[in-house]
Amino acid sequence: MSVIRLPMLPSSEKIPWNASINGKSISKPIESNAILLDVLRDQVGTLGVKRGCDMGTCGCCSVLVDGTPKLSCLVLAQEVSDCEITTVEGLADGHHLHPIQEMFGEYGGSQCGFCTPGFLVVISALLEENPSPNDSEIKNAIEGNLCRCTGYQQIVDSVRAASKLLNSGSITNNSTQPKSNPNPGFDE
Amino acid sequence: MSKKEKKEMVGYRQQPGKINFSRPGSGGKSPFSEPRDEEMIPESQGGKKEQPWGSHRHDELITGRVVGKSTSLIDSKWKVTGRAKYGDDIRLPNELIGKIVRSPHHYARVLSIDLSKALELKGVISIATGNDATNKFGVLPVTKDEHAMAVDRVRHIGDLVACVAAEDEATALEAVRLIDVEYEILESIHDMKDGLKNSEEPIHDRGEYHIGEANVQKRVFQEFGNIESMQENAIVSHKTNWFFNGVNHAATEPHAVVADWDPSGRLTLYTPQQVPHYVHRALADVLEIPMHQINVHRTFVGGGFGGKSDPFPHEMCASILARKAGRPVRITFDREEVYWINRGRHPSHIEMNLHADEEGRLCGIETDALIDGGAFASFGHVTTYYNGVLHTAPYEIGAFHYTGARVWTNKPASGAMRGHGAVNSRCAVEVGIDDLSEKLQVDPISFRLANLLPPNSATITGFRVTSIGMRECLERVMKESGWKDKFRKMPLGHGIGIGCGFFISGSGLPIHWDPNKFPHATVHLKIDMDGGVTVHTGAADIGQGSDTVVAQSVAEVLGLPLDMIRIKSRETDTSPVDLGSYSSRVTFMNANAAISAAMKIRQELLVSTSEITEAPIEKLVFGDRRIFRKDDPAVGVSYLEALHKAQEERGALVASGAYRTPPMGRAHKGAAAGLAPAYSFSAYVAEVKVDVETGQTKVEKVWAAHDCGKALNPLAVKGQIIGSCHMGMGQVLSEEMRYGRSGNLMNTDLLDYKIPSIHEMPEVTPIIVESNDPEGPFGAKEAGEGPLLPILPAVCNAVYDAIGVRTEELPITPDRLYKNIEKKCRKLKIDDPLDLPSPRLELSELQEKLEQRAEEHSIRDKERRLKSDIEPYHNGALFGMDPTIPPDEVDESWKVTVIPSEEYLENPRLAGSAWLHTERRKRGE
Repeated sequence: MSVIRLPMLPSSEKIPWNASINGKSISKPIESNAILLDVLRDQVGTLGVKRGCDMGTCGCCSVLVDGTPKLSCLVLAQEVSDCEITTVEGLADGHHLHPIQEMFGEYGGSQCGFCTPGFLVVISALLEENPSPNDSEIKNAIEGNLCRCTGYQQIVDSVRAASKLLNSGSITNNSTQPKSNPNPGFDE
Repeated sequence: MSKKEKKEMVGYRQQPGKINFSRPGSGGKSPFSEPRDEEMIPESQGGKKEQPWGSHRHDELITGRVVGKSTSLIDSKWKVTGRAKYGDDIRLPNELIGKIVRSPHHYARVLSIDLSKALELKGVISIATGNDATNKFGVLPVTKDEHAMAVDRVRHIGDLVACVAAEDEATALEAVRLIDVEYEILESIHDMKDGLKNSEEPIHDRGEYHIGEANVQKRVFQEFGNIESMQENAIVSHKTNWFFNGVNHAATEPHAVVADWDPSGRLTLYTPQQVPHYVHRALADVLEIPMHQINVHRTFVGGGFGGKSDPFPHEMCASILARKAGRPVRITFDREEVYWINRGRHPSHIEMNLHADEEGRLCGIETDALIDGGAFASFGHVTTYYNGVLHTAPYEIGAFHYTGARVWTNKPASGAMRGHGAVNSRCAVEVGIDDLSEKLQVDPISFRLANLLPPNSATITGFRVTSIGMRECLERVMKESGWKDKFRKMPLGHGIGIGCGFFISGSGLPIHWDPNKFPHATVHLKIDMDGGVTVHTGAADIGQGSDTVVAQSVAEVLGLPLDMIRIKSRETDTSPVDLGSYSSRVTFMNANAAISAAMKIRQELLVSTSEITEAPIEKLVFGDRRIFRKDDPAVGVSYLEALHKAQEERGALVASGAYRTPPMGRAHKGAAAGLAPAYSFSAYVAEVKVDVETGQTKVEKVWAAHDCGKALNPLAVKGQIIGSCHMGMGQVLSEEMRYGRSGNLMNTDLLDYKIPSIHEMPEVTPIIVESNDPEGPFGAKEAGEGPLLPILPAVCNAVYDAIGVRTEELPITPDRLYKNIEKKCRKLKIDDPLDLPSPRLELSELQEKLEQRAEEHSIRDKERRLKSDIEPYHNGALFGMDPTIPPDEVDESWKVTVIPSEEYLENPRLAGSAWLHTERRKRGE
C-alpha cells in the first residue's frame, strides 16, 4: 500500500557520474541509489525515455547501453557509468531519421506514441545486429515491449519495411532523406 | 485603365514602379501542381471512383488529394523522435513535485488529519486537504459526486485524502508518510449484489433522489413491444447468466498533470486529457474561478481508451497546490495509482435471454444487467442505459425487455472504456445467437443475414439508423475466412466463431445540454498571406489520429498538400470548444465542422477565381493548389493567386464551421441514451486453437470487417481495427481486475494485469467496408470503438466450435475453461478430455428458408441504400407489422414501458430488483 513507505529523503552523498549520452559526454553528480531512468529524465533531460511502470514490465523506458537494449527503470545509474547510452533522441541524425523512425510513421507503428521510443530503441538494436530479421526474430526482439494501441501488427510491418529499406542498398542507416518538410504544420 | 491592364493587375500583383518582393511559396514539396487524380474523384462528379453505395453530399468537395489515402499521422515525426511531450514531460522552471495521500481503507470516515509533522519537513511548500475544495464535480452534471480530496469520508482504497507539494519527489513522499490521518472504519461493500440492499451508510447520499437506502446509483427499466408474445412465439430460447470481470484501459502512459498559475492569476493546466472541455468546466466549479481564467492545455496523450476522459481529482489537487505554493506543481501517477483511479469497464452480471420463432426470427431479447460502478458515478448513468439499448441493432427484434442497475461498491470507480457499456452485453447477445442457431440447426451467419435491419430504418428503441454495412461485413468475413469449409467441421481443439458489433458514432446529445443550442464541435480556419491554413480545433488527438483527419478534411476541400495545414488543437484559450474524444464522435463531428468551415473558404476562393478568370463559379473545380475550369483546365489560377485576390481589402481569411446533431429519437424516458447521428457495424470471424488438456486458448487468426462509412485514412482505420482486436483479446482471454477475499485489488501492475504481448496476438486481416453514410464527413463513421465489440463473442463462439464447451465468465483463463471442460467430461462420462466430441451441425429445413430470406433482404437493402426518397422502415416489419408507421401507433398491445409493473416486481430479475426500492422523495419522508 503506497501510504506506508519507508523514509526516503535524498541522501546527501553524491557520487560523480560520467556517461556518453547520444554521443555527448555528460558528467553529473548523482545519488548513489539513483535509477538510470530518473537520471535520464530528470537530470539529463532526455524526456523521450518514457516511464510506464517502474518495474520492467512495459518496455517504454528502453535505452541502449553500449548498443544493448536495457530497461532503464531497472538499472542503477552507477552500473552504467562510463558507458555509451543511446536514447530515442539519439537515433536520428539531425533531421535524417533512422529508417525505423521513418517507417513507423509510414506504416502506422505509432498511434499514441508513448511506447514508441522503447520500441524504436529495441528495433534499432535488432536491425543493427540483424538487418534482415524474419517475423519470429522481430517478435522475439519486441516481446518485452507492450503497446496498447496498435496490436503490434503495424509495428511488425514497420520493421519489415525498415529492413527492406536498409537492405535496398541505396539507403544506409541514418541517411534516409526526409520525404517532405520534416516538420509538417503541427502544434507541438 | 484599359481592360487588358486591369487583367494583369489581378491576383498576386505588384504596385507598378515598386520594388519586387519575393512571392510566398506555393507550399508542398513540388513547385508544380499535380493533375487531378481521376481515380479518386467520385463517379457523381465525372471521375472514376465507383460508388456502389450511391453519391454523397460531399462529393463535389473531393479534390482527390488526401482523403481515402493511407496517410501517416501528421504528428508521427514528433513521436518517433522523442519530441512529443506527454503529461510528465512538461517541465516548468521552479516546479514542485506533488504527491497524494491515499486511503488505506475501503470505506472510512476521516476524523482528523494531522499535518504538523509534514509541515515541519524542510522542502515541503504546500499541503492541501478536502477542506481546501469542498465543491463537488463529476463528468456528468446529473451525478456530481466527487471531491478533489476526501470531504468527510473515503470510499475505496486509494481514494484521495490530502496532497503535498515539495521541492523534490523524495521530500514529497516523506511528507506523505508524515501526515497522520485518523479514520473511523465503516462497513464496506464489495459484492455488487450487496449494493442492491439497504445499507446503514450508503456510499453516497443522493438526497431526495436516493433509491431506498441502498447503494443503487442508477436503475433502468425498458420494455418495447408485446412482451408476453415473445415467449409464446418462441420455439427455442437461450439463457445464460454471465459474469464479466472488470478490466482497465491500461494505457501505457500513467496519468500526469502540471498546474501553473501565471503572474496575472490565470491557471494553465497541462494534462493528457481526452476531454479538455469537461476538465475546464470542473476546474471552474472546484476552484471557484470563471472558466475564462483557466487554460487547459492538452499535452500528447499516451493512450486514452476512456481512461482519461473524466475530470480527475488529481487535476484539482495540482491546481490547488500550485495556487497555494505560487509555483508550478507536477503530479505523476505510478502504475498502482492508475488502477486506483480506474474508470475501466464495469464488472457485470448479465442475464441474457433470447427467443427465436419458427421462422428463425429473433422474437425477443430479455436482458438484465447489474453493473458494479465502484465508488463514484463517473459516466455510469450512461453505461447503465448502454448495456441495454446498444444491442437493439443490427437485428430486427420482436420485443425487447431490459432491466439495468448500477451500484456503488467500495472499489475504484468504473467508467467509460472503449466500447462503452456495449461490450459485455454484446458478447452475451452474440454468444446467445450462436446457441439459438445451434438449437435451430442453422448456420449462425445465415441466421444473422436473415434478421438484419435495412438501411434507413428505425430500431425497436426508435434509434434512427442511416447507413448499414452489416450484411457486407458478414459476407466478407464469411468468404475470406473460408467459413463454410471450417464451421463445425474442424477437429477437436480447432474452432472458428463469428461475432458482430454495433456502436454509436458520436452521442446524439452532448453531456451538458443546456443551453441546448451549442454545437458539438466547432472548427476555425485562418489563412494568411503565406497560404498555410491554421486550423483551430478543440478535438483531442489521443493517438487515434484526429488531428490528421481534420487536416485531411481541410486539405481535401481546398486542394492543398497536408504540410500546408497547421493544426492548433492543444489549448482551450485558442481552440473552440469541442466536446472531446469519447463516444467515437471526433471524426464524425469534428471533420464535419472542419468541412463546413473549409467550404466557406472554398466559396471565397471560387468567387475570386471567377473574378480573375471570368469563368462562372459552377464551372470551376479545385485541383492541387489550383482552381480551374473543369471543361478547360488550362483556364485557371493558382491557389495563391485566388487567395491573394480574396484577401484584398481584408487580409487573412477566417472561417468558422460547426456541427450539431439533427433532432432524433423517441420521447420516452431515457430515449436519448444511445441516439447517434450514425452507427458503425462490424463482423469478425476468429479462428482459435484450444488445448483441451490444459484449457489454454490461442487465437490464431481474425478476419475483421468493419463498416466505417468511409475510411478517410485507411492506415488509421486498420490500426484501430487491429488495436481493438488487441484490447478485446485481452478482455476475453487474460485481463481482469482481480479483487481478493478482503476486497483488495490484487493486480495493480502490468505483470499481473495481463495485456496481450506480441506473442498472444493473432494475425488480423482488417477488412474495411464503406457504406457511405449520408451525414458523415465524406461518408465516414466511427472506427475507434465499434471494432472492439465483435472479437469477444467471436472468440467465445470459436472456443465452443473447438471443444463444445461454453464459458459464462470472462476472461476465459485456462483454469476457468478447464473447469468447464472437466464438467462437460463428467456429464458425458468421458475420462480423457481428448475424447470430447467436436460439435457438428446438421442443417434443418429452416436453413434454406433463412438463406432465401437473406437473399430477398439483400435485394431490398441495395434498393433502399440507393433511393433518395425512401419509405420509413420501422423495426417490426419482419414480424408482419406496417413498416411505415411506428408500431405503437397501430397496435395497442405494442407498448413502450419505462416503469416496471407490480406484476414484474413480484418476481424481478437481479438488476430488476433495484426497482423494489422507492425513492426517498416518493416515500414522503
